[in-house]
Amino acid sequence: MSGQFHRPHAWAWFLERPGYVRFMVRELTSFFVAGYLIVLLVTLGRLGGGEAAFAEWLSALSGPGWMLAHVVALIAAVWHSITWFAAVPQAMPVYLGEKKLPAPLAAVVMGYGPWLTVTAGIVWWVLR
Amino acid sequence: MSTELTMTLEVFRYHPETDHEPRFQAYEVPYDEDWVVLDALNWIKDHVDGSLTHRWSCRMGVCGSCGMMVNGDPKLTCAVFLKDYYPRPIKVEPLVNFPVERDLVVSLDGFMDKLEAVKPYIIRDDVNDTSGGEYLQSPAELAQYKQYSMCINCMLCYAACPVAGHEDEFLGPAALALGHRYNKDSRDQGQAERLDVMLVGEAIWGCTFVGECTVVCPKHVDPAGAIQQAKAVGAQEFFKRFVAPKGAGV
Repeated sequence: MSGQFHRPHAWAWFLERPGYVRFMVRELTSFFVAGYLIVLLVTLGRLGGGEAAFAEWLSALSGPGWMLAHVVALIAAVWHSITWFAAVPQAMPVYLGEKKLPAPLAAVVMGYGPWLTVTAGIVWWVLR
Repeated sequence: MSTELTMTLEVFRYHPETDHEPRFQAYEVPYDEDWVVLDALNWIKDHVDGSLTHRWSCRMGVCGSCGMMVNGDPKLTCAVFLKDYYPRPIKVEPLVNFPVERDLVVSLDGFMDKLEAVKPYIIRDDVNDTSGGEYLQSPAELAQYKQYSMCINCMLCYAACPVAGHEDEFLGPAALALGHRYNKDSRDQGQAERLDVMLVGEAIWGCTFVGECTVVCPKHVDPAGAIQQAKAVGAQEFFKRFVAPKGAGV
C-alpha cells in the first residue's frame, strides 16, 4: 500500500535497549577469547622451538602489559562462559518426562558441572 | 473513577493522506490506577480525537492486537498500567520494524507472509484417513511443544529483534517458533517441508541469539530458545544429507 511510513534504522541500534548492549558486550568478548587462543598457539610454537625459545617467550609474557592482557582475557572468557551457560538451557532443554529441568539446574548439569570437573582435573594433573 | 488527576500521553500520529512525516501529539488523560494504556487510548478516541487509529480487541492479553511501543518497549497496551508510569508522561508509538499504515497501526503483510511460509499447521500424509481414530499423544510429547503453541502473534518479538529490523530474509521469532512448534509435534509429518523454508539463506541463520524476543514475549513462549533448537535440528539434517540422499528416510 502506498503511503506507508518506514521508520529509519539508527546506526547505533545496539544502544537502544540494555539487552542489545549486553549482547554486543558478549560478542566483543569473543575477540579476547580468540586473541588468547593465538597467544596459546604461539606459546606452543615457542615450546616446539626449544627450551631457550620457550623461556624467552615466558619472560616476555611476564611483563606488565602481557599480565594486564591476561587479566582482561580471563575476565572476558569468564563472562563469555557464564553467558553461554545461561543460554544453554534455552537451546538444549532437558525434559524428564513432561517436566522441563529448571534453567538454573540445567545450566549446572550441562555447563558449570562439566566445566568445574574438567578444570579440577586439569589442576590436579598439573599439580600432582 | 477519579478525574482529579491526569497524566500525559504522547501519541505517534501519522495520516498518510495529509502527513509526509509522523508527529507526536500530547493528550491529557484522566489518571486511574486501574487503567491500562489501552484504556487511555480508547478514552482519547471516544472523548478527544475520533481520528486516532489503533488496533485492539479482547482487552485481556489473548488476541495479540494491541501491541505498541510504550516508552520504547514493545508491550501489549491492554497489559501495561498507567500507574507503572505515573506521573511521568507515556510515549506511545506503533511497533518498530514494521511499516506504519496510520497512527498506531502497522502493516501485517510481511509478517503474515513469513508466518504462512513456515506452514503453521499439522501436516500429515494420511489426513483424509480417519479409520484409525484420533491421533494419540502423551503428556510428555505435548510438553515438547506446548510452550511454543502459546504464541498469540502479537509481533512484540519482531519489534524487539534487531535482526528482524535489518534483514528482510529473516523469518523472525514468532514464525520460526511456530514452525518449530509443529516440527516438535508428534502428530506432524511436515518437518522436511518446513526445513526447506527455514534453512534457506538468512531465514533462520540470521538469528544471532540476542534474546530480546524472549524477554518481551507476554506469553513466555521463548522464541529465542525455539530458534536455537530449530537451528540444531537444521544442522543435523544438513549432515544427514551427506550420509544419505534426500528421501532415503534417514
